[in-house]
Amino acid sequence: MTTDELEQLLARQPVALLHRLARGRVHRHFRAGKRRLIELLLQHSSQNRAGLESDLQALLEVRQSRPEPGGRPTHTPTPSTRKQLPAQAPIPAVMEPAISLTSWLEGIGVPTPQPFVPDPWQLEALSAVGETDVVISVPTGSGKTYVAVEAARRAMEDNRTVIYTSPLKALSNTKYAEFSRLFGSEKVGILTGDRQENGQAPLLIMTTEILRNLLYDAASGEIDVRLDTLGLVILDESQYLADPERGVVWEETIIFCPSQARLLLLSASIGNPQDIADWLTSIRPTTCRLVRHSKRTVPLRAGYLHPNGKLTPLFRTLGIPYGHPSQLHPEAKRLFSEYEEETLPAGRPRR
Amino acid sequence: MPPSIHPVDLITALRHKHLTPAIVFLTSRRACDEAMEAFDHADAVLPPVRQEAIGAALERVITQYPSIAEHPLIPIVQRIGVAAHHAGHLPSWKIAIEELMRQGHLDAVFATTTLAAGVDFPARTVVITQSSIRKSRDFTDLTIGEVQQVAGRAGRRGKDHVGFAVITPSPYIELNVLTKGLTGHPEAIDSQFTISYPMVLNLLKAHPHEHIQGILAKSFAQFQLNQRAELIQRKLDQVQTQLEPFGPRVCTDWITQWQTFDQVRKRHPSRHPAHRSESPEIVARLAFLTPGRVVGLSKGRGIVLRQYRSKGQKNSMLTMLRPDGAITECPVTSVREVYDRTYDCAEIPSYPWCSTESFDQLSEQLEDLPPRLPILPILTAPSVEPLPDAVVQSLGDFPCPTCSSRPACQKDFPTASRLRQEQHRHMKSIQALRTSLWHRFQERVDVLQTFGYLTSTAQLTADGEWARLIRIDHSLLITELIRAEAFTGADPSLLAGIMASLAHDDDRPGAFPRISPGLSSLLRQVRKLAESLSPHEDPPLLRADVAALAERWIAEPTLTWIGLCRLTTMAEGDIYRLLARTIEFLSQVQTLKATHPGLADSAAEALALIRRGVLEELP
Repeated sequence: MTTDELEQLLARQPVALLHRLARGRVHRHFRAGKRRLIELLLQHSSQNRAGLESDLQALLEVRQSRPEPGGRPTHTPTPSTRKQLPAQAPIPAVMEPAISLTSWLEGIGVPTPQPFVPDPWQLEALSAVGETDVVISVPTGSGKTYVAVEAARRAMEDNRTVIYTSPLKALSNTKYAEFSRLFGSEKVGILTGDRQENGQAPLLIMTTEILRNLLYDAASGEIDVRLDTLGLVILDESQYLADPERGVVWEETIIFCPSQARLLLLSASIGNPQDIADWLTSIRPTTCRLVRHSKRTVPLRAGYLHPNGKLTPLFRTLGIPYGHPSQLHPEAKRLFSEYEEETLPAGRPRR
Repeated sequence: MPPSIHPVDLITALRHKHLTPAIVFLTSRRACDEAMEAFDHADAVLPPVRQEAIGAALERVITQYPSIAEHPLIPIVQRIGVAAHHAGHLPSWKIAIEELMRQGHLDAVFATTTLAAGVDFPARTVVITQSSIRKSRDFTDLTIGEVQQVAGRAGRRGKDHVGFAVITPSPYIELNVLTKGLTGHPEAIDSQFTISYPMVLNLLKAHPHEHIQGILAKSFAQFQLNQRAELIQRKLDQVQTQLEPFGPRVCTDWITQWQTFDQVRKRHPSRHPAHRSESPEIVARLAFLTPGRVVGLSKGRGIVLRQYRSKGQKNSMLTMLRPDGAITECPVTSVREVYDRTYDCAEIPSYPWCSTESFDQLSEQLEDLPPRLPILPILTAPSVEPLPDAVVQSLGDFPCPTCSSRPACQKDFPTASRLRQEQHRHMKSIQALRTSLWHRFQERVDVLQTFGYLTSTAQLTADGEWARLIRIDHSLLITELIRAEAFTGADPSLLAGIMASLAHDDDRPGAFPRISPGLSSLLRQVRKLAESLSPHEDPPLLRADVAALAERWIAEPTLTWIGLCRLTTMAEGDIYRLLARTIEFLSQVQTLKATHPGLADSAAEALALIRRGVLEELP
């Protein structure tokens, strides 16, 4: 390649490529304009022409292999996000065309009824809860209740008392109805501040505050005899541990929970379930077992519905691209920026 | 373009794509109610078969909860197969909606985001219209965990192959919050351990004071503090290894020794600097003698044009603009008064020190000044304390100047001293992390001792024995009220009214016109006490309207639920929650049977009266 040819070839390239080429070759190349940059590159190439040419070829090949030349630079996830999400789905290839609405909507419908088969994590949790304390952190709607019900059933078969706590009275009521249906109403009781329904039943439902009060009463000698036979304490929605006002109640309950009773903490997905498990291990007689699971039982897809009624997928991929929030579907992106432009007063930035 | 999609269109679009049943999360209760109203004139009516199915399902719920038989929303729910579900509704109505949804009779539910945590009913689709939620008083962005909790409602196990989370824009949306939430990893949770008065009393009842620290150490809070302490410990270890080469020399603790030496050397400079004998008064003035300032001199006034130091002069100098337009130089000491008046002065770096325009302007302003001007009060800084003579003299005794390892010490000192400081800082923070809970506990103990719930040896007093049974918010206020005998002879309705105003922590406006004089005077007493306790405990809202509402409900056993709701602008669900919280508080008071039988009886009576109608349906 003659110098003239090389100069022309360089002149045809976008300036970004020239900068990449200049990296390490030309000092302070980012300050130079395109023409000056070519000049500097050629000046440099007088010493190592072959190196420059091969690098240029390599860069050109990379560009050509992309679907849309001159498009956005390839999005490569930073190492930090990848480290943070070890078990996530593989990085979706950007080259793949964005999913279409029809294929996004495919598969809607009711599956044919199948006999219930517990998931492996549910079985794992159940086998563990017989021996030790268990912390379960799984996505919403994965079937934590199944574990709670089965664990309660097994404990009751051993003639042990089970306490099930929830953070809200409304949830307590729902669970009371549900458990009464499952176990028969004579086996399920509910405790509130002023009322006891079937307070001698082997399965007691209450809010966490009530249990905390029971434990305090037991600690100070006004013993509730039933705490001796207490075999299992199920704390639902344990992520309330981080509630600014009420979180302390969960801690008190766990600290004062009798050591012969097993703890079963059910929690939605949280970032540090291992910490909770380690904490339980450090204060309880047995090693706490952590059961975590991040895959949803029913896969989730995200969509975008424009105010004019147009529906498009939200992401380029069919499922949720975990760890890649910027992989928006081009159509969704276009519609949303249109929406922002039209609804926001001109010139005012969001927030 | 409309700011957000019309609810009817939304439901139509979802139905069209077979994305129902759906939960539509809206920003507020009002938005949910308005969405329901939007269906009033819509012609999207369910086929009769489904209407009947809804009716039948509702009948079954009504047999259990008769209070909702006349619910005004029943017809519209039945007609269009869409419902609203938020905290403004009665729990029994919410249960009915949940039941309908679970059985698949409804196509959509409009809900507030609180639902995401509150109940579990899933749907095929969730529609998200917002990226922030109201927390206490302002809006905060949804966390990743919250977005996933909301989106997690999509997709019913065994009923759906896939679930859908559909985002539709509204003015309350920021797309990247939601996309991050959907694709991200949920946040780690942190302990929110607080030490409350009842906790202290209950712990001290069951355990001796010296065991408490061990119990607090079992908390998740301490676990997390220890984690942080370990991180710092690691840093500390690093610092300590770095400090190793700076071990003992001629003096064992040469770093401290050198530090002292260095300090003394710095404070006792070998050469006297050019000493400017300005009195503290003058030094304090200097900061105010800026260009444009009007000052009084021995003869007339002037405006400062610049301040400078001149080599030949002992004092700082000023360039002044005098009334006749002259520019003069004078020492700062000749300034008699500094006036509280400055003018704009465009400075330039050479004679006449300000631009021509501002020179003319200033000259005019100087002529026009009133005869009297306010004098600027200038406080003098106390003069710097001289170094104690002992230290200065001891410099001669220091071994350092003659020590053989002095050059080595001098070379290493900056690094070593920095490391030493770091080491001390880390050690202090580790100490703080390990003991902070205990200190907080001790603070509470101190308060309880001053109020007489604990003896000086941290034993429960007679008052402490019963006070520990009040394990709710504002416990200190409640126990203090009981000790002040505020409730003696008060009838159940008054007691319930006060408990309601203590329990209610919602500042949503509500209105209730009349409040009985007895309650209002009692409430005034409570407010006064709450205020006096505010250094130790956050005072409750103590709203009079909710107090009056609870009082009426108990004082008039014939008052129906609908009658009660008509008395106020509060939503049904809020009234229910208010009374439910009141029940909680009253049931705590009821536990004081042994020590305060009269009060406990009164509470029991109030409880019996409060539990009627809607409030009897659910435990």
